[in-house]
Amino acid sequence: MIIEISHFLSILATGLFFLVGYFSIFTPSSNSSYLSSLITRTYSQGFFFLFFSFLIYVWLAITDNFNVEYIANHSNTALPTFYKITSIWSAHEGSMFLWIVFLSLWGFIFNIRVNNNEILKPKSMGIISFILVGFLVFLLATSNPFVTILPIPPLNGADINPVLQDPALAIHPPTLYLGYVGFVIPFACAIAFLLHGDAEINWEALVKKWSVSAWVFLTIGITLGSWWAYYELGWGGYWFWDPVENVALMPWLAATAFIHSLGVSIKSSQLRIWTILLSILVFSLSLFGAFIVRSGIIDSVHSFANDPDRGLYLLGFIGLIVFISVFLFVWRLSSIKSSSVIKKFSKQSFISINNILFGTLIFSVMLGVTYPLIYEFLFDQKISVGAPFYNAIFIPVVVLASIFLFFSVDSKWSRSINFEFFTAPIFLSAVLSLALTFFVMQFFNTQSISILASIFAGSLIIFRYIYEIINFLFKKKYVNPFSVIAHMSLGLLLVSISFNSLLSTERALSIDINSTEEYKDLKIFFEDIGVENNSNYDSIQASFLVEDQNGRAFNLKPEKRRYFTRGQITTETAIHVTALRDIYITIGDQLDDGSWVVNVQINYLIRWIWFSALLMGFAGIILVFSNRAKA
Amino acid sequence: MNPIRKRRVFSILFVLLFSVSGISLILYSLNSNLDYFFTPTELKDRNIPSEKRIKVGGMVLSGSVERASSKISFIITDYENSVKVVYEGIVPDLFKEDSGVVVLGVLRNKTIYAEEVLAKHDENYMPPNIEMNNDN
Amino acid sequence: MNILLKLIVLIVPAIFIFLFFIILTNEDVYPGADYDQFELPDFELKDLDDSKRISIDFIEGDYVLNVWASWCITCIVEHPYLMNLSKTGVPVIGLNYKDEKQDAIVWLKKYGNPYQTILHDYKGNLALDLGVTGAPETFLINNGEIVAHYQGEVNDRIWNDVFMPIIKDREMF
Repeated sequence: MIIEISHFLSILATGLFFLVGYFSIFTPSSNSSYLSSLITRTYSQGFFFLFFSFLIYVWLAITDNFNVEYIANHSNTALPTFYKITSIWSAHEGSMFLWIVFLSLWGFIFNIRVNNNEILKPKSMGIISFILVGFLVFLLATSNPFVTILPIPPLNGADINPVLQDPALAIHPPTLYLGYVGFVIPFACAIAFLLHGDAEINWEALVKKWSVSAWVFLTIGITLGSWWAYYELGWGGYWFWDPVENVALMPWLAATAFIHSLGVSIKSSQLRIWTILLSILVFSLSLFGAFIVRSGIIDSVHSFANDPDRGLYLLGFIGLIVFISVFLFVWRLSSIKSSSVIKKFSKQSFISINNILFGTLIFSVMLGVTYPLIYEFLFDQKISVGAPFYNAIFIPVVVLASIFLFFSVDSKWSRSINFEFFTAPIFLSAVLSLALTFFVMQFFNTQSISILASIFAGSLIIFRYIYEIINFLFKKKYVNPFSVIAHMSLGLLLVSISFNSLLSTERALSIDINSTEEYKDLKIFFEDIGVENNSNYDSIQASFLVEDQNGRAFNLKPEKRRYFTRGQITTETAIHVTALRDIYITIGDQLDDGSWVVNVQINYLIRWIWFSALLMGFAGIILVFSNRAKA
Repeated sequence: MNPIRKRRVFSILFVLLFSVSGISLILYSLNSNLDYFFTPTELKDRNIPSEKRIKVGGMVLSGSVERASSKISFIITDYENSVKVVYEGIVPDLFKEDSGVVVLGVLRNKTIYAEEVLAKHDENYMPPNIEMNNDN
Repeated sequence: MNILLKLIVLIVPAIFIFLFFIILTNEDVYPGADYDQFELPDFELKDLDDSKRISIDFIEGDYVLNVWASWCITCIVEHPYLMNLSKTGVPVIGLNYKDEKQDAIVWLKKYGNPYQTILHDYKGNLALDLGVTGAPETFLINNGEIVAHYQGEVNDRIWNDVFMPIIKDREMF
């Protein structure tokens, strides 16, 4: 049977990866050219076996092979082919499989792109291979996706969760996984660097583009996830501080700090200890994310069904990875030469501060995720940490970081310039930002310090970089496009989030059919409501004619669906998108007097939030594809 | 002490002071922003300051749901004690009488003014927090 | 300074891993299991085969109540274990959950019938009272009282780890 071939290829790949790991790390002369080419070829073979195994699996899913328990459980003959494929990563076993395939894919690309002469390559490949072996054993032993149902397979498969049949949900996990596992490259190189113990090796330059690529995937993946939650869950927010969102945010924060620190280490061999530590932290946090989601220790929208062995295995393996890296780090610490003292007001000094601020954020999120678990364990009292805590930490720290960023634009590498606070660009952007903040305060009549401070900080960055761009256009002064775009999108993100929380409103209205309710500037006319029958669900669809203050009218048709097989009810939101705001409607229940409860949200600048985040990712793409950054 | 050593001691002290005060600030804000979870019985037994955000979970008492325009009120019970909840907005799809619910809100005059109402999950899909809080 | 750094990088992950280890190995070893005891709620449902009415008094003694449906894939996986269980003499009662009668009967013909009696809970009312969230779920009932509940597939390991201790403790069957 075909599934056995797929299963066998995975086992074979595990064996080959083990050989690669063994020979590259435990053979003393791993720098001989014969051995390194052997390692390269064996790794590639292992990758091909694993990849074919996955392709066969995809093919089995497309052709509805319900002999495979996992496919039978998560796919259905009636599904379109696209969702048959995406059903593979809709639950634990299959998504773990994809996660591992992506991990090996990063290793494979690194394997073919990096020259065999690169001194760190054999050991890096070995580390990647050992990590692969660990996760493949986890997959095969505790979460085997190849298990078959005998003797009689079900005919049509399962009725899969309708919430999961959604394009954004189909692509956001793979994007996130690509981000998470991509950090295996800088991690493996850092560990290889520690194993070699030769401080002269410039591992930082080797991993720069790899790290930024992984960061881009993580950024885009988080943004897609946020967008999905917005329209699918029907709550209308873009970020819920859900534990699973938090475990994606932590590696992102660590990766951002890591990329900054990496820049310094490449430029001037400073902060090297920080850079190594951060590379370990980023990958550990990525693994920690996998642990949290898959151990069942936290319940969330995203968490997978659970089995106690999985959690323990993952914890043990991740613990092993972390401890080996930390011991190596401690062992080699004194030999890593991190040169000279950092000068006051140099770029390096600002980036050091940035590292500390990011560390604070990561620590706070970690605390927010783990504290409820510890608290419940110790005091048997359930608690949860919600948005107020994160706001209390993030707003001041991010505002502070933005202000440092603002001053850092004028700083120079390795030079403590005589810092002038009253230069034209600083003065100009400060005045403009103050004016904007003051305007917001008066016009929108708000006293909220956190909103005003964020708007001030965000616009400071934007104005400062606009000045740089003008300088570039007219005086041909060099700017780093990555830095300018990424930082401007941070400014834009801050401003969008602030305006969003300042202006967005919602109200639950009760409306009769054929009558009009007014909310803010909107006139909402309830045209019709009716039942529609579809192949696997019934839906109640309401139709509203909404007119805004400019007399523009549009139709919105929110739905409530009831799926036949399990009677599951889902809410389909109706959203009218304009440049500045979304009008977002969901329907609730019918009241005794015949009217319907309708929730209307006006979400300002919400598209801008995702646009800024995507722009930030785009900046990373520019860096990856530019030649200049190649050190 | 020679100047170099003196400087080193100062820098270590500075780092320690800085991180200790930073961590205590974070812990302080964590402590003041926690949402505690109670059952109606626990709610009765303990003294909960009004205006503090709390979560309360239990079953929706059958026959207790009243709707008036967009406002909804109902009683949460753990079959020993119960508490009234007032909420403005759309209750989740899975909200119904005799089924599990968790509300987040503040307690005023023995009534909870909810900002958020979450229903116990059905099948595989669950909104955040629910499972965790509904196990009692 | 270096010593401080070394200590921090060694201790911080150790603390986290230790904490998670303790939490993971603490009581809730099987997250799908709970041992809340409560009386079997009143019900009156039709039998799947001959549509006779079955009420709470119909079934006596100790038995296993298994919630299943023809649309549930995990039920197929669990099925052989239930067949074996019923052969060893443990009475297994089926609760057919939100399922079409015809589908359920076809399903049983295909895979075999381990159930002494099958309650047809088309609307899921009894299941709701029992706190069922999906299928398969299994309850252990001791003289009209529910003493253990497991969400998910029952297999040898779950039977021995989740149900056996209770069965021995209460000297059931």
